[in-house]
Amino acid sequence: MKGAEALLEALRDRGVDTVFGYPGGAIMPLYDALLGSGIRHVLVRHEQAAAFAADGYARVSGRPGVCIATSGPGATNLVTGIANAFLDSVPLIAITGQVATPLMGTDAFQEVDIFGITLPIVKHSYVVRHIEDLPRIVHEAWDIAASGRPGPVLIDLPKNIAAGEAHGARRVHEPRPTPARAEAALLDSAAAMIDAAERPVVYAGGGIGIGRAVQAFRDFVAQTGIPVVSTLKGLGAIPTDDPAFLGMLGMHGSRAANTAVQQSDLLVVVGARFDDRATGKLDGFAPGARVIHLDIDPAEIDKLRRVELALAGDLSCSLAALAQQRPRIGAWRRHCQSLKTEHVQRYDAPGEGVFAPELLRRLSVAAQGEATLTCDVGQHQMWVAQHCLIRRPERHLTSGGLGAMGYGLPAAIGAQLADPARTTIAVSGDGSIMINIQELATLKRYGLPVKVLLIDNQSLGMVRQWQELFFERRFSEVDLSDNPDFAAVARSFGIDALTLDEKGQMDEAVDALLNHPGPLFVHCRIDPAANVWPLVPPGHTNATMLEGSTQ
Amino acid sequence: MNRTIEVNLTHAEGAIVRTLGLIERRGFVVHGVETASDPHGGALVLRVEVGSRGRPFDVLVRQILRLFDVRNAFLVEPQAGQRLVC
Repeated sequence: MKGAEALLEALRDRGVDTVFGYPGGAIMPLYDALLGSGIRHVLVRHEQAAAFAADGYARVSGRPGVCIATSGPGATNLVTGIANAFLDSVPLIAITGQVATPLMGTDAFQEVDIFGITLPIVKHSYVVRHIEDLPRIVHEAWDIAASGRPGPVLIDLPKNIAAGEAHGARRVHEPRPTPARAEAALLDSAAAMIDAAERPVVYAGGGIGIGRAVQAFRDFVAQTGIPVVSTLKGLGAIPTDDPAFLGMLGMHGSRAANTAVQQSDLLVVVGARFDDRATGKLDGFAPGARVIHLDIDPAEIDKLRRVELALAGDLSCSLAALAQQRPRIGAWRRHCQSLKTEHVQRYDAPGEGVFAPELLRRLSVAAQGEATLTCDVGQHQMWVAQHCLIRRPERHLTSGGLGAMGYGLPAAIGAQLADPARTTIAVSGDGSIMINIQELATLKRYGLPVKVLLIDNQSLGMVRQWQELFFERRFSEVDLSDNPDFAAVARSFGIDALTLDEKGQMDEAVDALLNHPGPLFVHCRIDPAANVWPLVPPGHTNATMLEGSTQ
Repeated sequence: MNRTIEVNLTHAEGAIVRTLGLIERRGFVVHGVETASDPHGGALVLRVEVGSRGRPFDVLVRQILRLFDVRNAFLVEPQAGQRLVC
């Protein structure tokens, strides 16, 4: 058996049936072994898309996604996707070809030190030096990627190792221990803090979905009755139409969520990391609150805010232990509901043009929150977060930590393949879509029924908004009014397309997005001056929220 | 403020660079490093004198402990006059 075959066999042992990649010189032995291996290879058109598609596949399936690239430029093109998986804690196995070991370190053709380049953005990494180590490395990489706080693992595979014969390949691998549980005494203390609280708020993060703790979280919220706010990645931990849900907190969060957090006397932080986009100015965040921090990763405890009580360990176990508490917070809950009522979102924008928040809300409601929505980065990403009905974390795929434009379309490809029966919609902007628009060819090739909703404001909208608000309207390099005819571009890839310009066309567009057989590209033109509101200005606490005229 | 962190590593490719890189990327300054090999277990002991402008050392130790090659890591109790050599 060759090294490449041993690697694929180990992947098959872990149940891998789909990988994403792009071939090239140093990785050719692996591509040769893929033929007849029983593993489906999805050929993307740029390696970055392979990493993003594997990321989307992982987020939906809950199992590591696998991406493959050759050495040199193929490997460096994976870097953004690896960083994305690292910052969003997504289990990913990135396999890169490498020049043969005798050539390593000689600046050989297409040689880069991808092991060194990616050191800060991987959970772990390997250069395979001996063929016999391959099975162990693959199994170890899998467990590292998937266990505890998930993340990406890189396997750099020299060409001669992949092509060489493995004699007596050994699998010496000890599975990692299961996640620790928080200590009983600490859980008792947390329970007492919850019982004593008068104004508690649950601050829900992406760790709930990643840790597959959604049901335990919902039980905890239902039984304690504590109002909930969430981060961008925590959306869907409870349905966004649940009465207990106050909205997303932070820079583009809801006023109800931010106000409740600022007024709270106890924050129960679940699988979140006090990201600056969520907290605003940190030293003014939830100034009167004591904090209980639940996280699988002990290194997140006290990283940005010193907490009164840390429950490091498996989230489901901790939440189940705390779900018996019944704080007497009726008045506080009524106050939080009044905040929601007072600051309810409005969709009655004037004019005949399409108001993107309204379109997105209608679309997600029509889908009953059951479609998978992937996003790119920018204004449309925030509108999705603010206005869409989201019922599960794995139905909302967004580049949260890295904020990588170009994520949405390839992530949708991975999501669709992970859950073929589910409607998958990539919401993008006219800046973001151009980062990985070549993946329309992947949709066409594999006949994937992904729907693309392009919100086109003819500019890099979020940057333009910031230049308008914080750089004295000095607009610098944000104009995209020379965009191509996107519907025509989509058709040139063989994908059906339609264009949406007016409010009156929205129902037809929503129907097409949910019911059109096969892939569809919907190009929606909106007002280039539309902004995302509310907004916490940089350097301010979440108590300071700007509102705009479209509200 | 400076503290010394002792890290017990598996002697694997990239383990030292990964550890020292993490310390710097997390906003700490590496003032000195000493290494010693464990002749029995394939391990490497790394003693790093680390400076911080306010970031907590205990969090850094937990971040180091996340690394797969790290077997153990802890803050060494400060002793007057002790300084590691680069």
